[in-house]
Amino acid sequence: MSRPDWSVRVAGLRQRSTAVRRWLEHHALSLTALATAGVLAVMLYLPVGVVFVNAAFDDGVATFAFFREVLTDPFYFGVLADVFAEPLAVRTHLESLLGWLAAVSVSVSLEYPIPGVPLPIPWPSLETPGIRKGLFGFTAYQAALSTVASVALGLSAAYILANYEFRGRRTLRSLTILPFVLPGIMVAVGFYAMFGRTGTLNQLLGIAGVGPYPFIEWNPLAIVIVAHAFYNAPLVARVTVAAWESVDVRTVETARSLGASPRRAFRDVVVPQLLPAVLTGALLTFIFTFMTFPIVLALGGLQLATVEVWIYDRVRRLAYSEAATLAVLETILSLGLTYAYLRYESAQSGLARGATSPSRTPLFPDLRTALSPRRLAIVGYGLVTLIVFVGPMASLVVGGVTDGSGFTTRHYAFLLERQLEGADYQTLPWIAIRNSLLFGLATLAVAVPMGIVVSVVTVRADRGGAIVDTLAMLPLAVSGVVFGIGLLQGLVFGIPLPGGWRIQVTGAVAIVAAHAVAAYPFVTRNVSPLLANLDPAMVESARALGASRYRALRDVELPLVASGVVAGTAFAFAISIGEFSSTVILASGGDTYTMPVAVERYLGRRSGPAIAMGTVLLVITAASFVVVDRVGGRFER
Amino acid sequence: MKRRTFVGAVGGSAVAGFAGCLTRDGENDQGNGNGTGTGDPEPEDPDLEGELRVATYESMVDGEDPAGPWLKEAFEEAYSDAELTWTVPNNGINDYIDREQQGADIDADVYLGANVDDLVRVDDNLDDGGLLRDLNVDRIDRADRIRDGLDMGDPHGRVLAYDTGYICLVYDENVVDEPETLDDLTVPAYEDALLAQNAQQSDPGQAFLLWTIDAYGEDGYLDYWQGLMDNGIRVLNDWSESYTGAYMEGDRPMVVSYSTDQVFANQYDYDMSRHQIAFPNDQGYANPEGMGIFEGASEVDLAYEFLDFALSSDAQAQIAQRNVQFPAVAAEHVDLDEEFDRYAHVPPEAVTIGYEELRGSLDGWIENWAREFASQ
Repeated sequence: MSRPDWSVRVAGLRQRSTAVRRWLEHHALSLTALATAGVLAVMLYLPVGVVFVNAAFDDGVATFAFFREVLTDPFYFGVLADVFAEPLAVRTHLESLLGWLAAVSVSVSLEYPIPGVPLPIPWPSLETPGIRKGLFGFTAYQAALSTVASVALGLSAAYILANYEFRGRRTLRSLTILPFVLPGIMVAVGFYAMFGRTGTLNQLLGIAGVGPYPFIEWNPLAIVIVAHAFYNAPLVARVTVAAWESVDVRTVETARSLGASPRRAFRDVVVPQLLPAVLTGALLTFIFTFMTFPIVLALGGLQLATVEVWIYDRVRRLAYSEAATLAVLETILSLGLTYAYLRYESAQSGLARGATSPSRTPLFPDLRTALSPRRLAIVGYGLVTLIVFVGPMASLVVGGVTDGSGFTTRHYAFLLERQLEGADYQTLPWIAIRNSLLFGLATLAVAVPMGIVVSVVTVRADRGGAIVDTLAMLPLAVSGVVFGIGLLQGLVFGIPLPGGWRIQVTGAVAIVAAHAVAAYPFVTRNVSPLLANLDPAMVESARALGASRYRALRDVELPLVASGVVAGTAFAFAISIGEFSSTVILASGGDTYTMPVAVERYLGRRSGPAIAMGTVLLVITAASFVVVDRVGGRFER
Repeated sequence: MKRRTFVGAVGGSAVAGFAGCLTRDGENDQGNGNGTGTGDPEPEDPDLEGELRVATYESMVDGEDPAGPWLKEAFEEAYSDAELTWTVPNNGINDYIDREQQGADIDADVYLGANVDDLVRVDDNLDDGGLLRDLNVDRIDRADRIRDGLDMGDPHGRVLAYDTGYICLVYDENVVDEPETLDDLTVPAYEDALLAQNAQQSDPGQAFLLWTIDAYGEDGYLDYWQGLMDNGIRVLNDWSESYTGAYMEGDRPMVVSYSTDQVFANQYDYDMSRHQIAFPNDQGYANPEGMGIFEGASEVDLAYEFLDFALSSDAQAQIAQRNVQFPAVAAEHVDLDEEFDRYAHVPPEAVTIGYEELRGSLDGWIENWAREFASQ
């Protein structure tokens, strides 16, 4: 072989590899979109479809009977059931509505809202003749209250994190999603340990000489709402901080130079840029709390049962048609709400160019400033977060090192012993830790591209985009119980094929795929509002200069929405770490269990070992979040 | 012969895309169908070699000091050619009912931990007498050691009890007095005192509900529960949340729990005055746990040996003490630690609702009860 020959060949290879690369670059987006669709079809639409079919078919015959039965049952739909039963009897329905309105009265009475404190407060009370909400109505009611509480707590946190500089701010920002990964049972135990009659709060109050108060017994609904805020306020905060940090200060400066007061500039310039993010947080919170399941029963009791509780019960009794019907109705509600929001979001595009981030002022520069009303309000908010967020988690950690008789290390000794001496059919702590971290990283690798692609595909398409985007939100809108049973029947048992064959999907790869499916909507919802805010002209000029769509995304758009991508990444990781219901199904019989699964498995007669494992989960995820944010932070400006 | 005839993946992962695998259902996958009661004659030369797969619940293998590892070791010692492997299905017997319905493979020989209501659910969803074999009790020599009253009432004779627990009330004597009767729980002295569990998804919760149905009848139990509701009963999700959460944190002075509670209180130095046992009406609800053999079991001989082994004196003592339940065999066949005997209490009268009454009624009872609570 002569030299010239060889160099020609190398050149040819190089040319070909360049061509391949260019081809890949040109098709990167469509390939990722294709892969996304594939994963969704197998890991989402197939399992959900397997269960949903039960709602519409009875022995292979299509029927509407299951829906009619649920819709016209006052237990499920309260007063609306009559309307569903006879949708055309408008007159009758209007008459009963008028009759109800006529019976409403408002009165003012003196109340003593703080027990033990003789402080009379005039209390307006709305006397209504009582309205039967039904299970769906009550579920929506508590979800609405939970959303309000979560947004109130979350927005305050976002305001402080985005506008003030203080020691540990970045770490605190990383840790905001920590509550998100805690298994429901841990949160319940933490809440009892914090708010119970012998809990931490009462012990603290006892030092001050008051109490004990039965905080949980006073108003179970209020405690459930606080617990929902514990889960979801961090979510609102995280999404909003990401948007706040990408607000273009120059627009604020322009408004100010044109004579707008700081308040006015905030209202007219900053608020519109934050609103999509705040509403995203509110929407996700509403959907989550609408589908809440373990928390309501653990803290509130059966009186506060939600639709999801009934779905779980139906599934346990193997009454799949009723379970599926309830789940379909739940999904329609959530998707309808999502669609309405997404239509709003897409109408908001093209607001800003995204450039200079706002600067932060020191939180406590000096004593004088520290005593200003605004700083004092922040201190007050800090106290609330200490009680609501830090309290339950700290009480949990303390519960891991105490027993009926005081300090003990035996719960951790249990973990160590299990690790060293446990049999292979038992749950070993290290394997759980290792799996959680590996699955978390793998989930990022799959979910982040998936989420970004869905954003890119849908952001500029108008109405059609909103529909695709809504369907892409299905993982959030579908009942976790139903999804789990779908995975079991569809993927674990396998789908029968002709010739006695079965296709089955289980094991580590299936778990990562399921996590990615659950996680990518968070990436999308964090990235989309920011992406929609970018000026389309920037992408167009990049494309006009010859960049592929992928190049334009990589080099122009992503750097500008980096804060959203990082927030989405953190969420994807959190979802993967905290995911329980599909993991436990797909991991059965193998060594692919994760930390939350281990927590649940250690839950026995005493909660000690489970709490110890829960503490390990807390510490390791906290560390991971800091790392994820530090690594991710390098891509932000 | 040992393993189910399972044709492994034919380039499975590639075809299925990801962790997919393509398998072919074996021909002799399902066992002998509905037993007729004459099945499983005692063989001349039983095959005691191979892998016995035992399905059970989480705390049997993964709790603190569980009985599972002991059973495995001792069984393998007694049958040196056998290996015992544990399987823990996520939803208990439901997983196997589902598998049977979907025609998927059942990967276990023995089921350890079937309650009477599990059998009812099997029969309500599969063919009557399905899933588990009709046992040939003659092959289980120690079966006649089982105490009277622990017969689980299955007309198909599919299960034998291996232990039992009693549901009762656990109370804090510093706050409330011992309730004498179930009626007492509706009087002002016990206002806002009682914690119970959701019968839809908790075993003790369901047992307590069934106890009240036994006491007040199908037509009267909802009225009684209305009384409990008016008196401020709280019904939480399951045992862990009501006990470790609300009861242990002092939110309420009385909880529906197990009559073996003091064994733990003693073991972990809890204040015994907060762990008093009450048997209202001098009763406790018995919840026997049973074991059976799957219809499609591939190691039938070993499975029979396991059932017999679980009723041996040593196994009974270990299961009882590690599971903190009562043994299924009569007292002369088991030696329990003195401490266990002292702190585990047996009710004067054990009540239980048998298979025949539960069949066809259980779901309706629970549904009506739950709707009573959740009506908004």
